[in-house]
Amino acid sequence: MSSDEHDRRFDDWAITRRDALRGALAGGVLVTAGGVLAACGSEDVDVPTRDFGATSLKNVRSGGSLRVGVAGGGADDSIDAHIPATVPDISRVFQLYEPLAGRDINSDFELVLAESIEPEKGAEAWTIRLKPGITFHNGKPVTADDVLFSLRRIVDPKDPKTGAASISYMDLKRSRKLDNRTVRIQLKFANVGFPDDLGQYFNSIVPTDYDPAKPVGTGPFMFDSFVPAERSVFKKNPDYWREDMPRADEVVIIDFPDDTPRVNALLSGQVDAITNLPPGQIAQVKSNDQFKVLISETGGWQPFTMRVDQAPFKDARVRQAMRLLVDREQMIQQVLSGQGRVANDLYSPYDPAYNSDLPQRKQDLDEAKSLLRRAGQSDLRVELVTSPVFQGIVEAAQVLAEQAKGAGVSINVRKVDTGTFYGDNYLSWTFAQDFWATRSYLSQVAQGSLPDSPYNETHWADPEFLDLIAQARAELDEDKHIELLKAAQKIEWERGGLIIWSFSNQIDAYNTTVAGFEPAKSGFPLTNYGFGRVGFVD
Amino acid sequence: MTRLILRRLALGVLTLFLISLVVFAAVLALPGDAATAILGREATPERVAALRDQLNLNDSVVTQYLDWIGGVITGSFGESAATQQPVSELLSDRVANTGFLVLVAALVAIPLSIGIGVWTAMRRDRPVDHAVSTSALVLAALPEFVIGIVLILLFATSVFTWFPAVSLLAPDQRAWTEPSVVVLPAATLVLAVTPYISRIMRGSMIEVLESEYVTMARLKGLPERTVIWRHAVPNAIVPAIQVTALQLAWMAGGVVVVEFVFSYPGIGSLFIDAVDNRDMPVVQTITMLAAAIYVVLNLLADLATIAVTPRLRTEAR
Repeated sequence: MSSDEHDRRFDDWAITRRDALRGALAGGVLVTAGGVLAACGSEDVDVPTRDFGATSLKNVRSGGSLRVGVAGGGADDSIDAHIPATVPDISRVFQLYEPLAGRDINSDFELVLAESIEPEKGAEAWTIRLKPGITFHNGKPVTADDVLFSLRRIVDPKDPKTGAASISYMDLKRSRKLDNRTVRIQLKFANVGFPDDLGQYFNSIVPTDYDPAKPVGTGPFMFDSFVPAERSVFKKNPDYWREDMPRADEVVIIDFPDDTPRVNALLSGQVDAITNLPPGQIAQVKSNDQFKVLISETGGWQPFTMRVDQAPFKDARVRQAMRLLVDREQMIQQVLSGQGRVANDLYSPYDPAYNSDLPQRKQDLDEAKSLLRRAGQSDLRVELVTSPVFQGIVEAAQVLAEQAKGAGVSINVRKVDTGTFYGDNYLSWTFAQDFWATRSYLSQVAQGSLPDSPYNETHWADPEFLDLIAQARAELDEDKHIELLKAAQKIEWERGGLIIWSFSNQIDAYNTTVAGFEPAKSGFPLTNYGFGRVGFVD
Repeated sequence: MTRLILRRLALGVLTLFLISLVVFAAVLALPGDAATAILGREATPERVAALRDQLNLNDSVVTQYLDWIGGVITGSFGESAATQQPVSELLSDRVANTGFLVLVAALVAIPLSIGIGVWTAMRRDRPVDHAVSTSALVLAALPEFVIGIVLILLFATSVFTWFPAVSLLAPDQRAWTEPSVVVLPAATLVLAVTPYISRIMRGSMIEVLESEYVTMARLKGLPERTVIWRHAVPNAIVPAIQVTALQLAWMAGGVVVVEFVFSYPGIGSLFIDAVDNRDMPVVQTITMLAAAIYVVLNLLADLATIAVTPRLRTEAR
């Protein structure tokens, strides 16, 4: 990234930085964002970061209708709080609803509707206390009953929602309301990762009389209209509990399944911001001063998944060899147009427990060949099933096949349509791909690395690993907890079934008529769909 | 004449029935079903089972088809698997938008291409004729999405910003209340069909202009205007009518691509989406609609041909 680009990106920070510095110092919060900036090849600049709250931008006024073009969407769009599947669905969830907790733009844990989430008895039971005075869009206060109703609705065995698997270890029969603002949740096993699991975007709190046809939540915007595959319109929530938010009177979220119309709508001024600018079009958008490209380094990753319980990947040496085939730098250049950071077959880079002591794995064709020879797989031939389910996935498969030739490994890339990919063989392909957003380590493990995880494509069930995770889940001492998680990562690094080659950047763009967007590590587009925090420039 | 129309209509209904069987089988042959398609990445076994139950996907194939065709006969096109809305409700706005787009394109393209055809025929082999012919061939060779993107670059984003690049309409808004969104998509369709119709028109016009009765008319001393429009064009137009019908029918399907480029809220994007979602009732209804348009347009073209051809007109009686 050139320094010119850096300057331009931070031009609108000139005002922000000063004002926000003052605010941040008053609040005693000042985080160095050197990590973000260093990658831009620039000098370190202290950039203040706050919670989800809006930046105090002097030249930004209240009011106006913010039109946002989001990638994807179709007739199966949903506005239900608990079954978001696509980018438009998730963008709507972030406007209407809120969970008990969450991750802010620095991927730091923050309480949202909860005032506290406290463990007892070695993390087997948790007391959740709600913030006082928060009301739903219909004026009803958020109570303990709403929390229990929402959690039950999510894990309903007859109609499990998106988040069911993430919190299925709650023992709701033994959980109860303590008072109007407090609930005590009993777990089936100890888990210090519980607050993070509650804080997933698909686990929002809705009122006991929730009706998805007239959706009500606590978010910065209130429901106005929704037409699947087209657009949704939300009005400002005047009683929103975070200060100075939202700024716009209205937000209009418009579906754009295809990249070209989405970019054109931005360029012709028909929308004020778009998610997921294709990397190939960064230069074009940047060439016009009217627009800004928002590049966020994230913990998002698109792994290759090898089934550890099936030949040829049953042999850990073959898995190791496959990981040594990848020229990660080259793959990032060719697949992501350079918009990513080299990864080390581990996920959750922003977790305090992320194991950065392990050496960075690099392409080593000789070592790969030797491992394959010892495993009796010198002329390995495998089929890699790929599908355009996420930007760059198919291209990554093709680049891997090309790189593997160097070690005499023949990868036959079988491209199928998404219907086939998610059809009967989904989650049981021998060698395939997936995509993930930023998560804390334990939440990610629960999603994809345990025998009862909903998306354990590699069929990973290493006893030593499982034991470490069980111990870590019950360990409330932070140092010991981190130590256990680092040991678990070492096992995944040594013999896991994932090839994790990059943490990719989230690339969005917006018109300079709006301000307030800033890079977010959590990997959701446009500052975690932070439409409440942005406003129009005077 | 009435018998002819009735016979053709009966054949049309049979065609539609056969198409519905083929499309039904084709959608079933696609891997995955509505439940896995709608859930996508979230298609865990538990959630797929719950959704299959909700959508009655566990019924036998025959039951599913009979349910659908039974509904059609009683005037109901069923409910979309993806949105749970009645298909008729889902389609009505979209059909109106697409209909308006095709209508505008047709109203411009037909007179324009007939005019160009006549005009170039009268200037046969002059430089202007060659220029028009060459451009027509180039346009005919270009895929519609390329024409669409070039128009966007020229008139919406890069050179001029006269028209919207993307045809955004509020859900309750119809295309005719916001005509600017129709300009570029309609222009794309016009540029896509005009070459075909104008070249056919030019060819048949040249033939007619060389015929004896045109020479006769000229020798009689009729003004050139009368010779062309009263004597030549009505005789030259028959092949153009057939081609126009085919082009209009093509538009009913080819509009999918144009709607995609401009994100125009018509049946095209709905159709692509429905196939992605394996949304059988919606796919069936849209194909039926497109097929019906083909059948009706071909019938109309034949009737128009009969109307302008005295020999056929008397035979048909």
